[in-house]
Amino acid sequence: MKPHLTNQAAGKGDLTDPKLAKTAEAEAIERAKQGDEAAFEVLYNLHKRRVYSLCLRMVSNPAQAEDLAQEAFLQLFRKVGTFRGESAFSTWLHRMTVNVVLMNLRKKGLPVVSLEETIETDEESPKKELGGPDLKLAGSLDRLQLQRAIEKLPPGYKTIFVLHDVEGFEHNEIATMVGCSIGNSKSQLHKARLKLRDYLKFMRAEKAEKQ
Amino acid sequence: MESMQHTAIVGLVVVACLASAATAETRREYRYPVGPKASVTVDTEYGSISVKPGTTREVVVVALIHSDKAKIDISQEGNRLEFESHLLPGADEQTGRVDYEVTVPPDTTLNLHSSNGPISAERIQADVAVEGATAPVEIRSVGHGHVHVKTMKGTITLSDVRSAHVEITSISGDVHLNSVSGPLVQVNSGSGRIYYDGDFGSGGDYNFSTHTGDIEALIASGASADFTAHSMQGHVQSDVPLKPKENNRFPVEVGRSFFGTVGKAASEVILKSFSGKIRLKQR
Amino acid sequence: MTCSEVQRVLPEMMDGAPNNELQAHLEKCPACSDLVAELELISIEAHQLVESNEPSPRVWLAIAAELRSEGLIRDPEAKPGRPVLVPTERRRWNAWWLVPVAAALLVAASYVGMRKPATQIAEKPAVVAPANAPDLAAQSNQQKPAPQVAETKRPVPIDRSLDEPSVSAPVQVVSTEDRQFLDDVGQRSPRMKAEFESQLRAVNSYIRDAEAYLKQNPGDEDARQHVMAAYEQKAMLYQMALNHIQ
Repeated sequence: MKPHLTNQAAGKGDLTDPKLAKTAEAEAIERAKQGDEAAFEVLYNLHKRRVYSLCLRMVSNPAQAEDLAQEAFLQLFRKVGTFRGESAFSTWLHRMTVNVVLMNLRKKGLPVVSLEETIETDEESPKKELGGPDLKLAGSLDRLQLQRAIEKLPPGYKTIFVLHDVEGFEHNEIATMVGCSIGNSKSQLHKARLKLRDYLKFMRAEKAEKQ
Repeated sequence: MESMQHTAIVGLVVVACLASAATAETRREYRYPVGPKASVTVDTEYGSISVKPGTTREVVVVALIHSDKAKIDISQEGNRLEFESHLLPGADEQTGRVDYEVTVPPDTTLNLHSSNGPISAERIQADVAVEGATAPVEIRSVGHGHVHVKTMKGTITLSDVRSAHVEITSISGDVHLNSVSGPLVQVNSGSGRIYYDGDFGSGGDYNFSTHTGDIEALIASGASADFTAHSMQGHVQSDVPLKPKENNRFPVEVGRSFFGTVGKAASEVILKSFSGKIRLKQR
Repeated sequence: MTCSEVQRVLPEMMDGAPNNELQAHLEKCPACSDLVAELELISIEAHQLVESNEPSPRVWLAIAAELRSEGLIRDPEAKPGRPVLVPTERRRWNAWWLVPVAAALLVAASYVGMRKPATQIAEKPAVVAPANAPDLAAQSNQQKPAPQVAETKRPVPIDRSLDEPSVSAPVQVVSTEDRQFLDDVGQRSPRMKAEFESQLRAVNSYIRDAEAYLKQNPGDEDARQHVMAAYEQKAMLYQMALNHIQ
């Protein structure tokens, strides 16, 4: 898994009180096992942005994302008594969140991974792309535009892109969670990035026209 | 006196029975019917994992639990099965040990983790991801998928792995690759030695890298590859006559690097070490 | 390698092993080079979204209400009611040592970026610098990517008088993160601590050797890749502890 997941596990969440931050997950979990409400809240505050953002990226609907985040936290807190090893808490939570979201997508009959297997088409060749050097994506991207572009991705592509590029899961982890092959995960990711590139260029061109 | 002896004997028998109960081995068998392209994860801290292909569409897991200090958590979601050893307080290397013998349909994706026990998988035509630590890992007759292996110091042996994407990382374990071909074969080792015996396929990328470990490649006749070898502080040697290349990645340092091709140079082979020896030999 | 071959191998190669043929093509083909640069930019920027949104307060209120109704949140005055499913038998496990995992992996990632042809992405500052590799962090912040494949500068040998011999002498584990990591592993199992310490020494030795060489030969692409490989090993070691020693 990529580093940013574990960075979160190190307690760099929303806690502004240094004392609380230093309490770290380990103590919060132990206290949560005893039914301490404040401890549950500490754990929630540490991870709420990460969990909610993941849900929002995957379903693109704030109300639904909040319901899913709530469900993920509840599932986790119900099992906190069985938790063995606080160091993996964030990993546990994030996997659980992914499972909750994927389960929700499956229930709705939405594909969690695209059935399309072909890797590229002639239209996707860089030589044939529209847009000259003036439309190159350079520097940092507009975050809002990127969010909007991700929302436009087909569900299957979106799942893999969010899990890999936003969340930092590795392809073998994604393959296990989503139920596809590693090769499929890699090709879906590539296609998702290509689509996002097209969307972003289009948005940039539109913006330039308006100006 | 006789009574005291009697009491002592009874006490010993009771203690022996309790001890025996605490360390009793239990054999458990689990069977799950699965569809095509199922996924099986086995995760244990102590104990071996062995996976073989079966002839039915059923996952069969035989677990040998070495004491009541270890339990198995099983979860199933559709075609995905997870078996995880769960240690109870006081479990150690002996009492926490669970050995798994797994039979799966050959198209089953495998995720195998054991911190201290040997792991083996054979005759699987799907992705295989293995994470060991100190014990050996052996993968045989696997193809058409991704094979990812990580160990700290366990020896890694891959045999007859074809048309695969192989990624291996080990800090001090030796890596043996016998008849392994990719589109991609990548090995990152620290002090472990890398030994390759094969023909480097036809059109793949092979990238072997070590810190102090030696690299030895024994190439079969008929191989077709473009070789680049460079050891920054170690010695390199090619016993194979290589055709010179026009453009090298860096200037040839006698004894530290060599370049050249055999056959039509279909595959690209990069052998790199920081201070280990690199040797290319003809089989 | 042709443009269509680049298209074919990109899904596999973009986040994976360095490939000389691909690099060579990217250096001479602006279209493919732009494509790779833009896809990398998207990938890097996407991670900035990881914590970008805040849920409304109603989420916690709903969770707390549910936990209370299920008896998982208990009144501190009340006697313990519902038993905890598994006793809190485990050692106290502090997660702070996970920080260097992030550092190690990000350094590896920044080196992947650095070995790519000149792009806007490669000029982006590293997100996190490793605690034990200040020189690398400085380089990743300041140094523009050097020409890669065509590098012909002759390597400068390392001045070993300034450095301990790496192969024979044991390397000390010096960083506080490493010490914390080993202490946590040791709480679980002294035997595993010895194993991890030995492996950590080996990995740190690799990092130190590769960094020292790179410092003296800053344009050496192979040295750069050795640094990356060494950090990948360290990241793997920490990850193994995370996965298995709990």
